[in-house]
Amino acid sequence: MKKVLVGMALCMLGAGVQAQTQQELTRDGNGGSTDNVLTYGMGYHQQRYSKLDQINKNTVKRLVPVWSASLGNEYGEQGQPFVYNGVMYAANVKRVIAIDIGTGRQLWNYDIEWDPAVPRVVCCGLNNRGVALFDGKVYVAALDAHVYALDAKTGKQVWKSKIAEWKEGYSITSAPSVVNGVVMSGMTGGEFGVRGFVVGLDAQSGNEIWRRHTTPDPTEKAYSTWPQDDSYKRGGASTWITGSYDPELDLSYWGTSNGGPWTWKARPGDNLWVASVIAIRPKTGEIAWHYQWTPAETYDFDGNNENVLGDLTINGQKRKVLMHADRNGLMYVLDRATGQVLAGNPYVKTNWATGVDLKTGRVVETDVAKRLRAGEQVEIEPRWTGGKNLMPMAFNPATERLYFSMLEETAIYQLNKDLPEYKPGERYMGVTNTTKDRDTTKPWGYWGAVLPMTGKPAWRTPLMDLPSWSGAMVTAGGLVFTGNTAGDFAALDEATGKVLWQFKTPSGVNSQPITYTYKGKQYVSVFSGLGGGTSARRETAGKVLPAGTVWTFALIE
Amino acid sequence: MKKIELQISVAEILLALALSAHAQDFPAEQIKQGADTYARHCAPCHGVRMKNPEGAFDLLTFPKDQDGRFRNSVAKGKNSMPPWESLLKPEEIDALWAYVVAGEKK
Repeated sequence: MKKVLVGMALCMLGAGVQAQTQQELTRDGNGGSTDNVLTYGMGYHQQRYSKLDQINKNTVKRLVPVWSASLGNEYGEQGQPFVYNGVMYAANVKRVIAIDIGTGRQLWNYDIEWDPAVPRVVCCGLNNRGVALFDGKVYVAALDAHVYALDAKTGKQVWKSKIAEWKEGYSITSAPSVVNGVVMSGMTGGEFGVRGFVVGLDAQSGNEIWRRHTTPDPTEKAYSTWPQDDSYKRGGASTWITGSYDPELDLSYWGTSNGGPWTWKARPGDNLWVASVIAIRPKTGEIAWHYQWTPAETYDFDGNNENVLGDLTINGQKRKVLMHADRNGLMYVLDRATGQVLAGNPYVKTNWATGVDLKTGRVVETDVAKRLRAGEQVEIEPRWTGGKNLMPMAFNPATERLYFSMLEETAIYQLNKDLPEYKPGERYMGVTNTTKDRDTTKPWGYWGAVLPMTGKPAWRTPLMDLPSWSGAMVTAGGLVFTGNTAGDFAALDEATGKVLWQFKTPSGVNSQPITYTYKGKQYVSVFSGLGGGTSARRETAGKVLPAGTVWTFALIE
Repeated sequence: MKKIELQISVAEILLALALSAHAQDFPAEQIKQGADTYARHCAPCHGVRMKNPEGAFDLLTFPKDQDGRFRNSVAKGKNSMPPWESLLKPEEIDALWAYVVAGEKK
């Protein structure tokens, strides 16, 4: 008994000195200290909302950079910075860096090594979107499908765990998430005939506790939605964006990618749990419920976009919901306890479907989809990159609006006559897809505020010269922070979209801003570094060069 | 005199044509093999049939006299492009070069 008590005391002492406790994680963005940003999405709910308001519509004109630091990377910065006790942890595909918030000086650097051939199995840019913090450790995934634990103080490796074989098409670009001592990680490889999964590792040892595959094997009921062969083994459904988490329901919500191969002709059926959201138990990986955004997916409409948890007033009642703007062009609202779909409406031009039939819960496809499935070449809106891609949206619980960057392009798309041959670690697609020439009088997309239940904009600003692949953040100061591929980092009036402040960073802003306090003062940080997506070169036409930096801003007195 | 000048210039044109024909003198079979390899491994970044590349170099503009640079970039990798030498055989890279030089209308 004494030993147990001493052990507990040591644990608590450790927590006080340098550890992030489960309680701190649960309260991050949820009543916890505003000095910290401990989770991907500024809270397990991934609302990317801050109650801080020192920087507001009136004061934002005094916002100035206080320091900047190199991130030593030219592949692009898509991630989010994390902050604990005055230290920032920044990750990209090449390294993790710890930076002192007060001075901007680097405390340590950890190089993430991988075989130079690994990018052969990475479809869409060499990315790393962030870390997880827990119990004095920094957890980060590597492109070659490993997860590392580093000592938060020194940057020294504590353990390294192989999650999958990159030569078979598996890689990881997402931030891990820690819940109750389990490090959860997704993976990617939907273009290479992988079988998707979420894995749960022991935070102390790195040992695998569970692995929940996202296509069913023949012993599972969902297998009836697949051909009765082994196509589920190459069926895609990768999990490349970090799941959100509801501590009360103890459910973590992960989106799943397109099916493998892209052409549905190779795998006739609805193909659960492709292009879906699955609600899983972090302790075991068990699936509590699922909902499929795009049944019989064949458009490369990954269903991975973040699942934001919040409360919405629906018919006069507050409902605990999950909000999701899918690549497929529809904005979904689900009851997050049960998975019941409450709304599914277009938020951009969408021609392959009209919306969701709330009686059946199923998306209603149009003639365009029917002609595509019959083998015709068709024009599809949105393009495969989606009405929205990975750049996360922000949710303001006070206005019940979502703020995010939208894309509007048209695909010319056809399923190939011949089915693709599967070879481990090689492309597994089976479609011919190109982009329709842009009408330059039309915008690339929008910055906008969208009403979750209807998908309609409260306001939206057309982006004419360049699109935005930047994440958004909203604050109680009435500001939406976002960026664009030219490198402008901007603060918009949340009520109107008017640009109130902007700062030109050295390269494109296609990352995820955060805000926090340091010694009582509000700070904003964001990464700059063109890249990450598949389209950056075409969109910027050589006018924006890469180079990763982090920028930190505060109000000048 | 005028006739001679004319003859010379015709000869020069014929020579130039012959040289350019030589540069594009790849067997149709090799070009086809390159097109297949291209469609499988390269098109996702460099564009279907080298048109409208999304995130990678526009191969329709690749200098046709720099086959060494091409082979080296494919084999060893360049910028965001990974090295392919552990997957593609030298003759497959030869075929890719044939396709890049002669496979599509510019």
